[in-house]
Amino acid sequence: MSTPLIIIIVLVIIIILMYNSLVAKKNQVDNIFASVDTQLKKRYDLIPNLVASVSKYMEHEKSILNEVTKLRAEANKPNISNEHKMALDSKMSAALGSIMVAVENYPELKANENVLHLQHSLNEVEAQIAAARRAYNQAVTDYNNALEQIPTNILANIMHYQPKKVFEIDESERKNVNVKELFNT
Amino acid sequence: MKSISELTDFYYKTLYPVLKELEKEREAVKKRVIKLGISYLLIAAFTGLLILRQSNRQIDMFLFFCFAAFTLGAILYKYLVKGYKSTFKEKIIAPLIKELDENLEYLPQQHVNETYFTRSRLFTSRPDRVSGNDYIHGKIDGVPIQLSDFHAEKRHQDSKNNTSWTTMFQGLFIVSEFNKNFKGQTVVLPDRAQSTFGDLVGNWLQSNNFSRNELVKMDNPEFEKEFVVYSTDQVEARYILTHMLMQKLLHYKKESKHPLYASFVGGNIYLAIAYNKDLFEASVFHSLLKYKIAMEYLKTLHLAVGVVKELNLNKKLWSKI
Repeated sequence: MSTPLIIIIVLVIIIILMYNSLVAKKNQVDNIFASVDTQLKKRYDLIPNLVASVSKYMEHEKSILNEVTKLRAEANKPNISNEHKMALDSKMSAALGSIMVAVENYPELKANENVLHLQHSLNEVEAQIAAARRAYNQAVTDYNNALEQIPTNILANIMHYQPKKVFEIDESERKNVNVKELFNT
Repeated sequence: MKSISELTDFYYKTLYPVLKELEKEREAVKKRVIKLGISYLLIAAFTGLLILRQSNRQIDMFLFFCFAAFTLGAILYKYLVKGYKSTFKEKIIAPLIKELDENLEYLPQQHVNETYFTRSRLFTSRPDRVSGNDYIHGKIDGVPIQLSDFHAEKRHQDSKNNTSWTTMFQGLFIVSEFNKNFKGQTVVLPDRAQSTFGDLVGNWLQSNNFSRNELVKMDNPEFEKEFVVYSTDQVEARYILTHMLMQKLLHYKKESKHPLYASFVGGNIYLAIAYNKDLFEASVFHSLLKYKIAMEYLKTLHLAVGVVKELNLNKKLWSKI
């Protein structure tokens, strides 16, 4: 076999490998976003129940409850973009966090078994969401790195791949979960 | 569970009379070992020389004799110290474990079942021979735990049909229940590739490890430097390995000062600490009254049993309620 032919074959193999790795990275991002989405839906499903259980007692926090309901309605609209979903998620996390803090001011709510159960379920979902977000961010970082690094950046440019945004991870999430604060009974 | 300082108090106060008695026994055994050892050595050396002379300096014969003499010597030594060693376990280790937590049971001759070791997925191949001792099991804060000294070996056969054994793992093997539900398998191993070959090549080698599941890159740089994580599920691996657990595993590794392996399979957490020696064994040449020697037993014991508290396995916060 002549030398130029060997060089061409090797080059083609390298391009195929690069192409496949880029596609794999892009699909990994989409796959993991799907699991983030599943967990987010799970959390949205808990919200009507939560709002119904606490609204009787929470007179001063009506505005947060309304906001949560509104956010949920918005998230349930069809065909919203991933970026929008991510933005809604961070707003929702903040709003739910303040509801949970507010629950502490109502002894009746703290003793309510339904609310307690909801708190457990929310904690569980939040832990799942946090894990899914971290997995998503890693997948996006791998993908974005490939988009910027030589030599995959050349191919990515030809394929019109665009860099993706990562989830902003709230500093408070990095902190240890304080069990005492959560169940201060 | 008692703290390490409470345990030290117990060791030097309650166990003191026993320790003194044991110290006498140790001195006696030590004297006997030295006396018999010297006579044995002299006899062996004399016989060796005789063989060397008689057999017209045939080196094969002499080497065989040396090997036989060494083996016999080792057996003799083991026999001499056996009584002292078992008294130490019965009178010191057993009460210490009871003091540590009364729900624990101690069986000096047994070890964690081999099936747990295989099921842990910590090592990709099955061991051909396992041994161990100092089996401790029970419940701490309602969380089942079992641990023991564990030695797993692999058999090798060369072209001449000679068999040799190499150690896959020797050290503490701990099995406990994990406080979260999960379906897949997640394995945390000491990071050898990245520390040997650097980040770039090491990372490439790790992501192409075909005997393992998918590589999971963790978002804690210190953890990522010490460990490498493989899992069947990227999201679940992070659900298990929260920032808090990563920090706790790092801390646990630092405390043990030895390579740490951890895995999460079938609802359990498996931990293996490669001490590369048999733990909780008394030596006739070291006094049990010495602080340094005593602290080594106490610390190892406390670290092993303390895993439930250390890793918060008793806090079933999530779906496992």
